[in-house]
Amino acid sequence: MSMNRRDFMKVTTGASGSLVLALSIPGCASVKTGYEPETGEWKPDIWLELTRNDEIIFTLARVEMGQGTYTGLTTLIAEELDVDPARITVKFAPVAPEYRNPLFGLQLTGGSTSVASSWKPLRVAGASARQMLVMAAARIWQVPVADCATQDGRVVHPNGIDSLRYGQLVELADKEVIRGDVPLKPRSEWKYIGRQSGRLDAEAKVTGKAGYGIDVELPGMVYAVMTRSPRYGGEATGFNRDEVLALPGVLDVFLTEHGVAVIADRYWRARKAQNALKIDWDFSDALTTSTEQVFEGYRQAANDDPGEQERSDGDIEEAIKSAGRVVEAEYEQPYLDHATMEPMNATAWYHDGGMEVWAPTQAPDLGRIAAARNSDLSPDDVTVHTTFLGGGFGRRLTQDYIEEAAAVAYKVKQPVKLIWSREEDVRHGLWRPAMLHKMTASLEGNELTGWDHQIVGPQILDWYVRNAAPAQYPWAPKFLYNTLGRVGLMVEGLATPKDISAIEGAIGYPYQVPNVSVRHTHTDPGVPITWWRSVGYSHNGFAVETFMDELAHEAGEDPLQFRRKLLDSEPRHRAVLDRAAQLADWTTPVADGRARGIALFKSFGTYVAQVVEAGIEHGEIRVYKVTCSVDCGQVVNPRIVEDQISGGILFGLTAALFGEITFKNGEVQQSNFHDYRLLQMHQVPEVVVDIVESDVEPTGVGEPGVPPVIPALGNALFALTGKRQRALPLTAG
Amino acid sequence: MALSLTVNGQQHTLDIEPDTPLLWVLRDELGLKGTKFGCGAGLCGACTVHVDGQPARSCSTPVELVVGAKIITIEGLAKEGELHPLQQAWIKEGVPQCGYCQSGQIMTAAHLLANNASPSRDDIVAAMTGNLCRCGTYARIVSAVESVVNGVGHYDPVQEGA
Repeated sequence: MSMNRRDFMKVTTGASGSLVLALSIPGCASVKTGYEPETGEWKPDIWLELTRNDEIIFTLARVEMGQGTYTGLTTLIAEELDVDPARITVKFAPVAPEYRNPLFGLQLTGGSTSVASSWKPLRVAGASARQMLVMAAARIWQVPVADCATQDGRVVHPNGIDSLRYGQLVELADKEVIRGDVPLKPRSEWKYIGRQSGRLDAEAKVTGKAGYGIDVELPGMVYAVMTRSPRYGGEATGFNRDEVLALPGVLDVFLTEHGVAVIADRYWRARKAQNALKIDWDFSDALTTSTEQVFEGYRQAANDDPGEQERSDGDIEEAIKSAGRVVEAEYEQPYLDHATMEPMNATAWYHDGGMEVWAPTQAPDLGRIAAARNSDLSPDDVTVHTTFLGGGFGRRLTQDYIEEAAAVAYKVKQPVKLIWSREEDVRHGLWRPAMLHKMTASLEGNELTGWDHQIVGPQILDWYVRNAAPAQYPWAPKFLYNTLGRVGLMVEGLATPKDISAIEGAIGYPYQVPNVSVRHTHTDPGVPITWWRSVGYSHNGFAVETFMDELAHEAGEDPLQFRRKLLDSEPRHRAVLDRAAQLADWTTPVADGRARGIALFKSFGTYVAQVVEAGIEHGEIRVYKVTCSVDCGQVVNPRIVEDQISGGILFGLTAALFGEITFKNGEVQQSNFHDYRLLQMHQVPEVVVDIVESDVEPTGVGEPGVPPVIPALGNALFALTGKRQRALPLTAG
Repeated sequence: MALSLTVNGQQHTLDIEPDTPLLWVLRDELGLKGTKFGCGAGLCGACTVHVDGQPARSCSTPVELVVGAKIITIEGLAKEGELHPLQQAWIKEGVPQCGYCQSGQIMTAAHLLANNASPSRDDIVAAMTGNLCRCGTYARIVSAVESVVNGVGHYDPVQEGA
């Protein structure tokens, strides 16, 4: 420390009035102490930067893909710093260990964790910076720290009249040391948390100024398109290089580990040249499967292997053996695509012994590994610049598009932007896995006594660990990456968190039933998979809540009451269920030609109940209304919570009504929005989102709206038609 | 081949293949990145611009077809530094989530209002339903358009922008 307390005293006792002091501060420190601030900026922690000019810059380490971190996390730090969030400049974080998501040990955005994992650290960071600013002001004024207040970027003197701007205090605040814990604002003093409703990124996004990955522009940039094997795992062995190279604007055509790259001076020229490519493929290791075979394989696996026991209460075998009635059902759910509106893309530039990558990625430190793998660089030589993301939904957790851009940039040695077409985006995705669920229940009279849930399908970590393991061990040499990936799997559940992607939402079965068994039969058909908004909850939600509905009807009970009576020890579950039912007038008759269905599902710590009102019109399913009650603990931004939940509902409805990626002989059969349909405006139901007021710690909202709407719609269609649909997507007849 | 284009009131002469989609000309030749690539097949609406006052899917419009036409993009919607009423309504309603489709949504809505100063909700839905939004912002889009309907009056993008 170059400035001690006595130096401060000299400064402060030399002046007679606060106005003079305020004016003299920026220069005084250097005059009196020799302390020279390097830049006039103060970085109290890894998140904040305050300048003499009252600029406040917040480093956002959770990417903005629509879910609202740009606004929500800024609100947390602004609240404790006591400034309007709109005054804060937000910048996207570089890759650094301190920006990792503590829940994963990786710098990634996913799992509906951004607010939950930032709730405490960001408020503490804001409060600490504010405290140091107050301490600096109190020292100047020679008044007790506790008597000073803050108000919108100023420290206010105990006399209530004089004040100092934060910008005037930054250099002095830098010298303050906080001992002990900094108190956080009590709820009663919050100005922005729970109240703030605007979005800080809205203006940039309605004027076309928000910079997405696809918008990156560099001097001398060229364009790349990649032709990948039509069947996953195929390899290009030859192509008509000379012919394509002769086409207008084409700069290079070459083979990479990912396919054949065409480089051109303009994007459209690269695309046209791609049409002229003739490639010989070696399909000897390529995917050959068809969708029917996937499910046949699952059924076979289910018979051969009872699966890993993931939960066991009571004695399920005995319950079923001695049951008055046994009910069985089997549910099939397809592969699903993310279909982000911004197709996969990345820009990379290999120069001066390193590589810069610009990408809309959910996991920039994995992007670094991906680029290192596809060049001669180590991850430390790779800089990843994160942009706005035109949707993520889990797709951008996998860095295949960065791998491709890096492989190309390494070869061409000039800035290159690689853009996927929509057709490539649909056909070369990584999907929500297709899953099979086999359910068995025992009933005694109308009492549910046993629940056996066998989940059949792959788990995502098997596909993800390749880049994730090296990212966690950045010191490891590159030749160890594949080993690390395998070790990552071997120590899963011991040194690394257990992969619950197949079983989440099933092991947490909330209903009070004496005998519960949840099993996972692990089988992988070789189709690439990744996280998809709400992940395992998406398919377990459909299986669990459809089967509950089937059992209610078997027991001759109302589906709401059947669930309610099994939730005595689950008050938050029961509360959202009751609220949704009441808001939807569950007990009153529905209009002719319509029916209601209900579902209740907790995911990512958040409790959600939904009632869907649906019918069939002109041979198509019509959803009229979705009533949703949600308990996500403390709300930071009510409008964003509502938008995330209702957005999740439409995402779930899209899956329920249209969602299906199918394979024939290893090839994806869909290609664009005409055959991988998204919900359109005229199909959107009225959506009511009721948020439970709560002061417990916040939980996720990005994903929990998705799972319950799928079974709730299916249950409504059963109520309407008497016909139970056990496969998705749902059909009208 | 040299082509002449009028975009947001400015004339440009470009040497480019005539079959290049207008989208890539706007984005890569003129640096107007607000118009987005979504599907390349006119199926999603993210690339919507106005061509002589009509909404057009720029991803599927060869540039040779719009020579001499007046083209307006999202960047040309604000007037003398003031955002278009729809842009203001979008901010007030907090419409955008990821935001990627919103340029196209706003351009489609601006065309609707230019031709129908007081559309009903059904009119709005009918005009907008070809613009996809994966985040599910549809209800807020409807609210934002409705909030402008009684406040903006007749808006003619050809007159105002060109």
